[in-house]
Amino acid sequence: MKKYMMFHARECPHCRKMMPVVERLEKEEGIAFEKLEIWHDEKNADLMRSFKSVLAPQCGGQLRTPTFFNTETNMAICGEVPYETLKDWAKK
Amino acid sequence: MKKFWRCFVCNDIHYGVKPPELCPTCRVLNAYVEISAGEARRMMGLPAEGGFSREKFREAIEAFAARNEFRVNPDTERVDTLLDGLAANEEKHGLRYCPCRLITKDFAEDSKLVCPCNFLVHETYKGVEQGECWCGLFVRRS
Repeated sequence: MKKYMMFHARECPHCRKMMPVVERLEKEEGIAFEKLEIWHDEKNADLMRSFKSVLAPQCGGQLRTPTFFNTETNMAICGEVPYETLKDWAKK
Repeated sequence: MKKFWRCFVCNDIHYGVKPPELCPTCRVLNAYVEISAGEARRMMGLPAEGGFSREKFREAIEAFAARNEFRVNPDTERVDTLLDGLAANEEKHGLRYCPCRLITKDFAEDSKLVCPCNFLVHETYKGVEQGECWCGLFVRRS
């Protein structure tokens, strides 16, 4: 089963903009993202760091927010993206 | 009065009345931003003391941007959000790490995330007409 994660940060403007996009995708496609805040929750930060070898090469070589991660396919997409782009990524 | 300055590209630290026009290490023009004594100490591996206030930091990045091809984002709400994150990260981790990226716990690698970082190489800025650094604090002048 696909598992979707969204690594985000409280003071990241891109993350704030993407929240309603994610919520729309969840509602329209019936999927759920596990939303993990990484600057104020050390457990979540460690979890993101544990995926560094998978996430960083897909995100400019760094751990960036927001990062959307499918733990089944190991595919990630980062930053502010249009709804259709996120939807296409989620369906892969 | 002498102040601390940091090259945003290679993180060299300069202590002097004025910032070097040309960075002696990476040869980038107008690359020095005023930093606090605390940040200078942290960048040299010493305990942090004497950090900048939020307003002093804002003044420093405005003055830094005025010498360059970019400016601080005119979206004040975005800037305020980012300044909140930078302040929180400085309080918790000793340096103003980018609120839109995560530290790895490798100091050398993480020093590249101290704001202002070398965003000239970011794919969101390099060669992009309406370019901005990853977090959007700095935007290319139109």
